Amino acid sequence: MVDYTALLPEGLLIVTAAIVLLAGLFITQKKILGYITLVGLLASLGLILKDWNLTATFDSAPFYGAIVVDPFSQIFGAMFLIVGVLVAIAALKAYGDNPRQDEFYSMMLLATVGMMVVAMSKDLLALFIGFELASISTYALAGFDKRDPKSIEAALKYFLIGGLSSSLMVFGISYIYGLTGSTNIDTIASVFGANPGLAATPAILLAMVMLIAGFGFKMAFVPFHMWAPDTYEGAPSIVSALLAAGSKKMGFAAAFRLFIVGLVAMKVDWYIAFMILAVVTMTVGNILAVVQTSVKRMLAYSSIAHAGYIAVVFVVVAYWNAPDSAVNLAVTGGLMHAFSHAIGKAAAFIAVAAIAYMILSKDKVDDPNHVENYDGLGKRAPMTAFLFALLLCSLAGIPPLFGFTSKFVLFLSTIEAGLLGLAIICVLNSALSVYYYAKVVMRMYWGEPKGEAFVESSTYTFVLAIAVIALIVLFFAPGDMVYQWAETAAHAVTGV
Amino acid sequence: MGLITILMLVLLAGAILSLLTKTTAQARGVALVSSFGALAISILMYLTYDANFNTITNYAFEESGTWMPSIGIGYHVGVDGISLPMVLLATIVCALCAIYSWSEGKRPNQYFALLLLMDLTLIGVFVSLDFFMFYVFWELTLLPMFFLIGIWGGPRKDYSAIKFLIYTHIASVLMMLGIFALYYFHGASTGFYTFDIPTLVNAYKDGILPISQYWLDFIFITIMFGFMVKMPSVPFHTWLPDAHVEAPTIGSIILAGVLLKMGGYGLFRVLLPMMGVASTWFIYLIALFGLMSILYSPFAALAQKDLKKLVAFSSIGHMGFISLGVAASVLAGMDPARVVAHTGAMFQMFSHGIITCVLFGCCGVIEHHTHTRIIDDLGGLTKKMPKLAILMVAGFFASLGLPLCSGFVAEFGILSGSYHTMPIFVILAAISIPFTAGYHLWAVQRTLFGPYNEYLGDVKEIKWYEFTPLAIWVIIFVILGIYPAPIIDMMQTTTEYFLLSGDILPIGGIHVPPGGAVPW
Repeated sequence: MVDYTALLPEGLLIVTAAIVLLAGLFITQKKILGYITLVGLLASLGLILKDWNLTATFDSAPFYGAIVVDPFSQIFGAMFLIVGVLVAIAALKAYGDNPRQDEFYSMMLLATVGMMVVAMSKDLLALFIGFELASISTYALAGFDKRDPKSIEAALKYFLIGGLSSSLMVFGISYIYGLTGSTNIDTIASVFGANPGLAATPAILLAMVMLIAGFGFKMAFVPFHMWAPDTYEGAPSIVSALLAAGSKKMGFAAAFRLFIVGLVAMKVDWYIAFMILAVVTMTVGNILAVVQTSVKRMLAYSSIAHAGYIAVVFVVVAYWNAPDSAVNLAVTGGLMHAFSHAIGKAAAFIAVAAIAYMILSKDKVDDPNHVENYDGLGKRAPMTAFLFALLLCSLAGIPPLFGFTSKFVLFLSTIEAGLLGLAIICVLNSALSVYYYAKVVMRMYWGEPKGEAFVESSTYTFVLAIAVIALIVLFFAPGDMVYQWAETAAHAVTGV
Repeated sequence: MGLITILMLVLLAGAILSLLTKTTAQARGVALVSSFGALAISILMYLTYDANFNTITNYAFEESGTWMPSIGIGYHVGVDGISLPMVLLATIVCALCAIYSWSEGKRPNQYFALLLLMDLTLIGVFVSLDFFMFYVFWELTLLPMFFLIGIWGGPRKDYSAIKFLIYTHIASVLMMLGIFALYYFHGASTGFYTFDIPTLVNAYKDGILPISQYWLDFIFITIMFGFMVKMPSVPFHTWLPDAHVEAPTIGSIILAGVLLKMGGYGLFRVLLPMMGVASTWFIYLIALFGLMSILYSPFAALAQKDLKKLVAFSSIGHMGFISLGVAASVLAGMDPARVVAHTGAMFQMFSHGIITCVLFGCCGVIEHHTHTRIIDDLGGLTKKMPKLAILMVAGFFASLGLPLCSGFVAEFGILSGSYHTMPIFVILAAISIPFTAGYHLWAVQRTLFGPYNEYLGDVKEIKWYEFTPLAIWVIIFVILGIYPAPIIDMMQTTTEYFLLSGDILPIGGIHVPPGGAVPW
């Protein structure tokens, strides 16, 4: 008899999405749907936290081992749900009067389910299904402000590039299947382990390139990043939060599952390729972030830079000389950084939404996200500015916020692996990133205010406060709760 | 909960409370209570500190607890003869700064909160015995100073603040890599992963790390770079004059008085024990950095038109003496001269920390009352501000190394102790002495004496809240100049302990021929 209770969190979300969608047809007071969504997300999050560290496999199940619930899927599930909660609360304010908000909530819930399925899948087909579920929902979300041409453009770009990346991914998967006769990741790894010669064939090279490109689009690696700044900038800010914090981490969940298992089994010289990818991604992201004048676009490029930091995990894993402890530490650090970045970036985009909302309410400006409009925000909107500054500190890796701890662990792994050059490039990039975050903080705190004080929205402030408090608590968390959780998850995925 | 934790909590509570206040009086009240509370605690620590109780693995007021046991991060604080004077210095300077800022009217709640945070983070650096904590506090000192420069700073504050932040941050992250390597190699060889400073430093010193000289040097040079930028040492000093010129007065006082001492403190706490294992030429490199600072600073100072920039360059020279003293003391082997150089360098940190406060305080008073700091626009201020003139003359004389002031004790100790092992360095350093005296005297002469510059209008006398802290600092450095025992004794005990036990200084590590090291 198969026990499906481990799938309750996802089931709950699907039910909530269905309820929201159906109820939206009949209810006129649609704001209540937001609260239903929130309850669904929180209940799901509670279920995950209740039995974390559960390892349930469905070997004899109809899923044929395609789905697995382990600490890895749980940590990503918790990440997606936290992002979902933050976005849902912010949506209460942003779309509280929108007549189509039921669609927003149900698509957001389905996107979250898709992301969670990706994190759970041990089979490339299941992974692809989750990927598409999340992608199609987010395509629609990116164009949710359908009267705003920028939003439409963002959605279109995202859709076209997303479609391309999906097809590349399927192409890569088909090669893998053709070579190994299976779509199950564990089976694939064991086939590679048994036939070391297989890993060096041109076909596998092609398959790897296709998969890197396919996942790379989602994770916004350079040179597959072109869509990301436009989409993040054009999409509604709270959708950008979902994209940068949720959808992007889904790419990492998939890549961790597939590449780490595959790379550990193959142990071929892939590290140079990943090293170039990581270094180019973080450097290009940071340098382009410096020159941005739109805060939202700056956050988009910083998101690319952070993808580069997390890509360090693949370099360490692929490096043949790295000791097992370094591999585990890297994956642990990567998970922690994905976690801290998800919370920090989601909240930062929501802060941008809050600030744009306030600026549009008082000032006559074309682009509320332009950095000049942030002048004197410390006086005009003290709470929002303070919380936004702390979020930027977390993204920059300045203590006492969790962003520092995660970066610390991640960079520590590069030294453990003996990749000194990479370590130096990483920390210098991190130092460079402080520059553009500090620029925004400087504008907020010692720019001259351009108008009278704003009325701060309590909903937005509440979301930001939750995120900041979470980041501070995680930094001080005694007994390194998060680290252990991430480490268990890392063990689950690396198997060493 | 020990005294150190209470000390830090008092300051943290003060900072948070101060942020919530509305008026200058409230914020000032909170800041005064909190900073003087901290001062009282540190004096209590000083009084109950037993100078003879001093081993390398036991610290006074030591507290340890777990934080992130999986990767060996713990809460570990404690003080010894190196750090207790620094804690005392930080609390004295910050408490008196709170008085000095009595009438601060611009965003007083944030101002006093940042002052207290500054105090907290600096103390955190000095008491941390865990590299993670040490690094966290090290980074955190940047933020209050960044905001102090940025919000209350001068016309080019944007440039200065960001330069200060990025320059020192780059140095910190590179230092972090050295710490990582130290951590990893220690863990890999012993199976015991920890960020504990004494454990890691001792492992490095004892040569039990099974790694090549390349990695040993990598660890040394990255950590050294972090400290040298912070001190700052020529050629990594360029952030300092900019930061000082634009910083508000108390920003400058804390920056020069305490923040720079973080670099010197790191030199004693972390680098000094490592010097025997790292390549020997690093010792000469550190001495060379010191010498370059000593020689460069008077000439740079002579050329300055801005009084505050002149004082900023004087700091660089005085910090150079610390590097020189440390490097020379390592080479001295079992020779008693080592104690002299070593103690002198430690005492220089405390002494300069007090003296420079007077100098920057006087600059601040002059700027506040005459609205200019350009030396050529000043002149004859004795006529209008006699009380300031007394303090300023005392401060500048102490800074140039006049006997009966603490600066003389320290620099005399460094030069005489170093001569034994590094005679050429000391002779070259001595060249700077007349120039140092020259620029100090010349600055005083042009500022205070001569005909009064009537363009300044009717300048008011120094206010009581400016006078009091400056006078207290003057009293401290004069007392310590005549009778340095209260501070220097605990430093010397620590030094002698090192010397006799051979436990922390690399006694056997470096070959020192009789009569000093060749070829220097």
